[in-house]
Amino acid sequence: MIDAFIDSWPLFREIWLAAWLVALLLSLVGVFVVVRDQIFVGAAIAQASTLGISLGLCLGSEWSAEGSFFRSDAFLSMVAVGFAVIAALVTARGSGGGSTGRPADSREAITGFVFLLGGSGSLLIIAHSPHGLDDVQRLLASSGIGATSGDVAVLTVLCAATLLFVFARRRALLLFAIDSTTACVLGVRRSTDALAAAWLGLVLGVAMRTSGMLYSFGCLVLPALVAKNLCRASLPMFFAAPLIAVITSMAAAVIGNACDFNQAQLSVALLCGLLAAAWGLRAARGS
Amino acid sequence: MTPMHDAATILSCRDLVAGHGRNAVLRDVSLQVRAGEFWFLLGTNATGKSTLLLTLLGVLDPLGGVAQYGPGVSADVLGYVPQCCELVLHLPTTPHELVALGLVGQRLTRAQREERVEAALEQVGLHGQLHQSYGSLSGGQRQRVIVARALARRPLLLCVDEPMNHLDLVTERALLELFARRNREDGLAIVYVSHDVAVAAALATHVALLHHGQVEAGPADRLLDAARLERAYGVPPLAASGRTP
Repeated sequence: MIDAFIDSWPLFREIWLAAWLVALLLSLVGVFVVVRDQIFVGAAIAQASTLGISLGLCLGSEWSAEGSFFRSDAFLSMVAVGFAVIAALVTARGSGGGSTGRPADSREAITGFVFLLGGSGSLLIIAHSPHGLDDVQRLLASSGIGATSGDVAVLTVLCAATLLFVFARRRALLLFAIDSTTACVLGVRRSTDALAAAWLGLVLGVAMRTSGMLYSFGCLVLPALVAKNLCRASLPMFFAAPLIAVITSMAAAVIGNACDFNQAQLSVALLCGLLAAAWGLRAARGS
Repeated sequence: MTPMHDAATILSCRDLVAGHGRNAVLRDVSLQVRAGEFWFLLGTNATGKSTLLLTLLGVLDPLGGVAQYGPGVSADVLGYVPQCCELVLHLPTTPHELVALGLVGQRLTRAQREERVEAALEQVGLHGQLHQSYGSLSGGQRQRVIVARALARRPLLLCVDEPMNHLDLVTERALLELFARRNREDGLAIVYVSHDVAVAAALATHVALLHHGQVEAGPADRLLDAARLERAYGVPPLAASGRTP
């Protein structure tokens, strides 16, 4: 199995590296999401990113000539990230508040709205474009990972920045995630909420373009959920979740390569299995 | 122009307008909190007590006027106890971790941090439960952890936002005695949000009475009289003097 993996390395190197970097990146950010108990936000942002990609595909095929910027991967990546960041900021802010300063609806309601708008819109926009529809459906199922060396470079930079920031400011981040009012009283910037949302949108948008929705959403929430059920304190989740994500993704690459399974889908299935085992372990320990 | 604060001032505001969005809840609030004072922000529900506190602390932007810390005072010397202690019941965490998180922004060595955490939990009687699951503690114990988180910062000013909601009498009494002792013995300034006039009468050096968007602030013995309390609460106080035991 290992030999087969090593033999395939030159062919799939970028795909596997990108998948491991996505796992590392999203699992780190995912700890913040899981601690805030906003798991569904990840799915909504990923759907919004898909809507951006659909719009990009539509623009590219309907209104621009062959070889134009609107038909390039760079343009699709930009709209994917743009829509993800906008969706993250909208879900973070709720519905605004208008003159009263109080949101007109709960954050959960806004998240549901973004998810459903992204899901329905992304398919309807390209419903009459069989090629585009196929692309989006593959994206939703993470059925084709097509990462390039450029994607690997971008993900490496994002991983490095996220690692540095999270490990330098992990206590402030955790306090903010648990109790944002106290964190602000104690000097943590109020803009942390918007910055965290924008960063979540950025990394999810980039991950969506390289890995698709199933893998991106899975790497965002499942490793942090497994860590939450295995750890006895919250800070160690920042170490445990990335470790779980990367090891699982590596195992999925090796097994998937040997057994001809899709690595992304296998990773998510393995993480689900780990989460079920962690729940069982926690129930057995009685905590 | 009169200066907003003297050397002992920790927190002050002048002509402050506090509210949410563009809706003003309180207008023309002026007060100064000095070292050793025990302030109570008193009023019925929804009069803006928590809004005033959060505006004073910079969490909400003032809609008018000025709120500022005194000379040499910053968020580093603040302690804050929020209303709700049911913060993280779904998370794996311990009293030790939660109290240590309260030290955010303070430059401490690992040993200093440990010493602060243990001393603070000892003050609230939870030294034996350092590494117990937070979710397995009782409501009263959880609130004591949150108080320990604030005390671990060794604050000059402790701000407490209705901490006794849903607590039993024993826990309430123990926490009040702790606050009073720290105020009396260490000169800790306290701003305490409450609607309980009896507790204020027993402990307050100063009060701010909130009613109908206005705030009367000053020494407790001047403001806690029957007429003012009746105006603030809409009902006459039980004791004729207004200073109920």
